[in-house]
Amino acid sequence: MPRIYIDGLPYEADSRQTVMEVAAANGIVLPGFCWHPKLSVAGNCRLCAVQVEGRSWVEISCNMPVAQDLKVLTDSDIVREYRKSILALTTLNHPVDCGICDKAGECLLQDYHYEHNGAPSTSHEVKVHATKFHALSSRITLDNERCVLCSRCVRFTHEISKTKSLGIVQRGDTSLVRASGDGAFETDAYSDNVVDLCPVGALLSRSFLYKSRVWYLKATPSVCPGCARGCAVNLWHRKPEWKLQALDARHNRAIERITPRDNPAVNGPWICNRGRDLAPLFERERATQAICAGFSVATPAAIEGARSLIERARRPVALVSSWASNEELAAFAAALGRHFTVFVKRDREPEPGEVVADDILICADKNPNSTGALANFASAWGPGSTLPEGTDLLLVWGEGFDLAQVPQSLRTIVLDAWKNPGHARADVFIPVSIQTERRGTYTNFEGTVSGFEACFEKDDSVAHAEDLFAALAAANVAAA
Amino acid sequence: MGARLLMNFELTPTSHTLADYRARGGYRAIEKALGEMTPQQVTAEVTASGIQGRGGANFSAGRKWSVVNLSDGQPHYLCANADEGEPGTFKDRWILENAPHLLLESMLIAAYALQVRHAFIYIRGEFDLPWRRISGALEEAYAAGYFGKPLFGTDFVCDLVVYRGAGSYVCGEASGLLSSLEGKRGYPRNRPPRLTVRGLYQRPTVVNNVETLSNIAGIINGGAEAFKATGTKKSPGTRLISISGHINKPGVYEIEPGGAFREFIFDTCGGVPGGRKVKAIIPGGISTKVVTGEEVDRLTLDNEALATVGSGMGSGGMVVIGEGTCMVRLLQVLLRFYHHESCGQCTPCREGMGWMHRIIDRIVAGGGRPEDLEQLKKISAWNDGNTICGMGDAAGYATVGILAKFSDEFEYFIAHGRSRHDGNLECRAST
Repeated sequence: MPRIYIDGLPYEADSRQTVMEVAAANGIVLPGFCWHPKLSVAGNCRLCAVQVEGRSWVEISCNMPVAQDLKVLTDSDIVREYRKSILALTTLNHPVDCGICDKAGECLLQDYHYEHNGAPSTSHEVKVHATKFHALSSRITLDNERCVLCSRCVRFTHEISKTKSLGIVQRGDTSLVRASGDGAFETDAYSDNVVDLCPVGALLSRSFLYKSRVWYLKATPSVCPGCARGCAVNLWHRKPEWKLQALDARHNRAIERITPRDNPAVNGPWICNRGRDLAPLFERERATQAICAGFSVATPAAIEGARSLIERARRPVALVSSWASNEELAAFAAALGRHFTVFVKRDREPEPGEVVADDILICADKNPNSTGALANFASAWGPGSTLPEGTDLLLVWGEGFDLAQVPQSLRTIVLDAWKNPGHARADVFIPVSIQTERRGTYTNFEGTVSGFEACFEKDDSVAHAEDLFAALAAANVAAA
Repeated sequence: MGARLLMNFELTPTSHTLADYRARGGYRAIEKALGEMTPQQVTAEVTASGIQGRGGANFSAGRKWSVVNLSDGQPHYLCANADEGEPGTFKDRWILENAPHLLLESMLIAAYALQVRHAFIYIRGEFDLPWRRISGALEEAYAAGYFGKPLFGTDFVCDLVVYRGAGSYVCGEASGLLSSLEGKRGYPRNRPPRLTVRGLYQRPTVVNNVETLSNIAGIINGGAEAFKATGTKKSPGTRLISISGHINKPGVYEIEPGGAFREFIFDTCGGVPGGRKVKAIIPGGISTKVVTGEEVDRLTLDNEALATVGSGMGSGGMVVIGEGTCMVRLLQVLLRFYHHESCGQCTPCREGMGWMHRIIDRIVAGGGRPEDLEQLKKISAWNDGNTICGMGDAAGYATVGILAKFSDEFEYFIAHGRSRHDGNLECRAST
């Protein structure tokens, strides 16, 4: 375990590490465009250079192996002057179009320029112009003028998604990132990660393009419900203080974009494209009206109706949701578990065209908490499953089960968040909240527990399932 | 001129063939190496000879070989760098065209010393006759059993492939060459690790210049001491010099370092057309700093002497610039080349080359500003030592070298919006 000194302070390092890695592990931020902890070293932006004590020149830290008693300076006069020069070169042909750039507010070049240079350009030459809107795929647009050719995106497709779908064509200051063939990038199920990887506003998501300035948005930590991997994500939505008054109120409750949240135990810094596309799933038409015996009723009345059905049932069966949080499942188990025969059902199955599974992140089970549900209730409900003999009440929690499958004589209670004509068949329907309206945890297929936070307040007519089960089991439901 | 170690035979229409090469004693050095020496002894002999790389960096070839650990259990690779792209340099071409078997035999010796099973010759795509000659020679050598089979009753086998590049200056840089050889984009690689640690296919690889390798057979045949007896103490052996520009007898010459520079230019190469003066000489490819006519008069032709004026013998590509040439236009030509050939991988070179080129273009167009010269020096300094490969540095050397010695021409151009020499790149009488 060699010890190195960064700006005079000692740090323990692994002999296989680089100075950049040691710095990053110890919270020292060295500027750089091309270095990324999960990608190979390119060493092409040259910004992360440091000075080895006693030498009069700089060397890039991302490719500098550690050595016992290596002493590096990250803020010497030589380093500061050097960074200034590199930023002068990086901004030489970079358009100053921050006013219309989606990356504004998140752009490393902006940050570094103000931190390490800040001077106006000394160039009198015309900037090199390039393609402003090059469609790399139907999902990603590339502004070549903004590209600093850090090659992160290229390395991502070579090393992480392994599609090798991006490359660099041409030479020198006319180099361009391009897809390696017609439609090559279209088939990359992880292509949108290059948008997050891009340190500047070159690679942009077409679904988020010009939608919002990032400083109006808030990132709420969440878990992707798209499959059993349970990737850590950030759900970006409007900050309360920036709520739009004049437009449709739905804008204030919209998930503007979904980005990965680095979780080394689950997904690292990546998510699949499907995970980014789940916002519409949360924005489907919600069920807000409780139903009891075919009539629209207030939610407390529906809860009372459901409670009495449960109380009278001798052999009730519950199909619990694999989209339910561990807390909701625990609440169900505590309140009603002993009374019901419980099966865990899959709320979602792979859709046509969806990547079923791969060896990177995507799992075949398209439900976020099957593992957590099966930890509470061992029996799984599958395509060939039938209700036990004598079942007199069926409680269906969540999506993925058609009530038309069961005889009309069977009493049914449905707990769901989304509008569905089938709900009218239920004896009792109670609308419940969704993931973006509550906090909780999911257990992924590997047993890792990840938490999510609420983005929005739920509607008053909607119940939190976690609170509901106690009310369904209690003699007095007035408090619900 | 002195000793002849490479150009030591008469050129005939068949002198490049295996029969002629054998008649000159060809393929005896590999027989001697395999029969009498261990791989380590071969490397030791090459190290003792003091031969320096002829591609431009002048690094000791023996030291480069010594880094390769023969017992590391990995495959090792050898590659001859025949991507002779340095402007003004065409000396390796002479070897490829006229002495291809000398290169092949030397590569066999190097492959034996480095325990290489697969060797490569990376030849620039624009070379047609050299490629045909080396490919033909390789076919002859395979047919004669020198490659692809156990050699001279030993278990040493070597296969060799000639790979044609696609025409990029940066592919002449050893690591860029290997990337290209791997089928990737010809991007140079960061060091560490050195190529002798992780080179081709991430295995220890030695990349040597064609001329460097071609000397190996002679070193093994004649011994390190005989080799060291030629040249200077620090630059042993001979050098092939390709000379072009404003010179009466352009071509490839073999010289012994240490002779008078002026003698070589005026006696050996016939001087400047029309008996005019030498204004400047780029002594070792355009990546070396220019030397003035006055400096030529007092210098000897070797690395040590040229180093005193901040230059070197580099790749041996000498460009003579006669009087009446506009150095501003000359620098424009050089910077256009560097801009065009920058691979674009790292920021200082990618942006710096274009910036410098645009500045010099503006100066030549009559729109120069007094601060432009300082800006050119500044960009050169920003590139110096800060790029992945040496190309950014090289452009800086060329720029700074010309600016330092001919600043008056640039100042005149900026002040008057026109050239003192009418923008001439031809050699003509001073005005």
